[in-house]
Amino acid sequence: MLAEIQFTSLAEFLAMGGYGFNVWSVYVIFAVFVIVNLLAPLHRRKQIVREFKRRESRQSQNVTDFDNLESGNRQEDLQGQLNESRDKAANLPGDRK
Amino acid sequence: MAPVTTGIAGTGSAFMATLKRDLLIASKRKNDMLNPFMFFLIVASLFPIAVTREPQQLTDISAGVLWIAALLASLLAMDSLYRSDFEDGSLALLLLCPQPLYFMVLAKNLSHWLVSGLPVVLVSPLIAYMLKLPAESYLPLFLSLLVGTPVLSLLGSIGVALTVGLGSRGLILAVITLPMTVPVLIFGTLAVQEPRFGADLAGYLAILGAQLLAAIALAPLASAAALRISVN
Amino acid sequence: MNWTWFHQLGSPKSFYALTSQWLPWLVTVMVISMTAALVWALLYIPPDYQQGYTTRILVIHVAVAGTSLAFFPLMAVAGTITLVWRIKLADMVARNAATLGAWFSFVTLATGSLWGSVMWGTWWEWTDARLVSMLFQFFLLLAVIALRSAMDDNDKAAKACALLSIVGCINVVIIKYSVEWWNVLHQPNSPVGMSNSGANGPEFWLPTLLMVVAVYLFLTVSLILSTRNEILHRERKAQWVRELLAAS
Repeated sequence: MLAEIQFTSLAEFLAMGGYGFNVWSVYVIFAVFVIVNLLAPLHRRKQIVREFKRRESRQSQNVTDFDNLESGNRQEDLQGQLNESRDKAANLPGDRK
Repeated sequence: MAPVTTGIAGTGSAFMATLKRDLLIASKRKNDMLNPFMFFLIVASLFPIAVTREPQQLTDISAGVLWIAALLASLLAMDSLYRSDFEDGSLALLLLCPQPLYFMVLAKNLSHWLVSGLPVVLVSPLIAYMLKLPAESYLPLFLSLLVGTPVLSLLGSIGVALTVGLGSRGLILAVITLPMTVPVLIFGTLAVQEPRFGADLAGYLAILGAQLLAAIALAPLASAAALRISVN
Repeated sequence: MNWTWFHQLGSPKSFYALTSQWLPWLVTVMVISMTAALVWALLYIPPDYQQGYTTRILVIHVAVAGTSLAFFPLMAVAGTITLVWRIKLADMVARNAATLGAWFSFVTLATGSLWGSVMWGTWWEWTDARLVSMLFQFFLLLAVIALRSAMDDNDKAAKACALLSIVGCINVVIIKYSVEWWNVLHQPNSPVGMSNSGANGPEFWLPTLLMVVAVYLFLTVSLILSTRNEILHRERKAQWVRELLAAS
């Protein structure tokens, strides 16, 4: 549109008029930055799904859920319930300012 | 909101009561007063050993060394600002007071600065002499520390209030607080260095003073909010 | 005034549903604009008479640096919402914004250094106000992250980080002006070619503008993705999340 392709050969493109190292380092850093910050959430999502499935299958296998007898999980459960009820309260429309 | 009855003390007397109480406690605990002071002396004395013994080079770095030593001394002293009150529960009581928390926090900051910050300011000309600061810079150093260190205390107070409930808080406090002290450090050191080259000291002190006023107006509000988050 | 809509928007469930609709569009526009900006920048920008092909660095650097300035205001607004209206979604956004903002600041510093190493002949230059204030923005973002990881209680951490973000936002502005002033006063003779205003023709700023748009879209997409994860994790006991996870 405003200009033409600036390079006639691949070697010229890679050399960037002598600033090849700096220019390409910046683009590599940028690419890593973008890709990592898009893939990491996708990976984390898979992890969450996996964790959930594992928990579910364990709970359906064992009637007495040994995992949940551990105090840590028990606490987490209680905390979860607490958070849930707090959420409900927080999301209620109406008399809040 | 607070019930306004005749039995409740006014804000002014609550401020004075908090101030007196904290000064009384500090007078019983000599270490809290002495340690920042000792720290300041020792850190400042380490620089000539580590960096240089040449008087000219010492002159060049002395303003920065003195300010950074004062900054670190103030930071290390901060931890005692709310900790004992948090541990014995009197901080929770303070939050329940009907008077505005802003003034109590301000009173606590003031007493803490009088106890741990002011001694450092008072002794600074002596260290300045040992670090070969030019004689005409003593007054700028003294005045800039006098106006600047309260800002450091007020900023540090926010960090302490945020971390008072945590188990290990020494480093996290430094990580939170130190970046915030950059503006004070910039104008504090400039106030010491620049008048030697003909700049006007009053201008730098005015900027530091403006920072102090802004910190007095805003920082206790943030500290108060942080205390309400940390305690309970 | 009726605030129902506000709380509805702030509910994790409706946010999740809404972003499910937005995401495909956002991702498409992001991919197109970023590809176009990259190709344009790498192939078409003519060499600057002073800086040669290093203006290609500035296309990235300017876009990332400009976008990174949005993080503290964003976190301060989210923090205010957390403290005033206790909407948990705001904290979920703020938490991920801190991490992403630290990334942005770091990339800004790294690309700035790579540009400076050519144009100034040094990787680090204390006399450049933008570089120094960016460094302290980076430190302040790390401080927010550190505070978050030091606190076990989610609710308390949310409020504490919200407050620190608001304080940090004010502080970043003060630091920026102090550092600028400091440079003017302290170091009147700055290195030659300091400003990157040398490259400013439309052949430079048009691809840069496109890159800014692309980077903002990338920020939005990444933030939405990680916020959705945060919702799935924190609300994992909620019925709708369980159904959603079971189906995926």
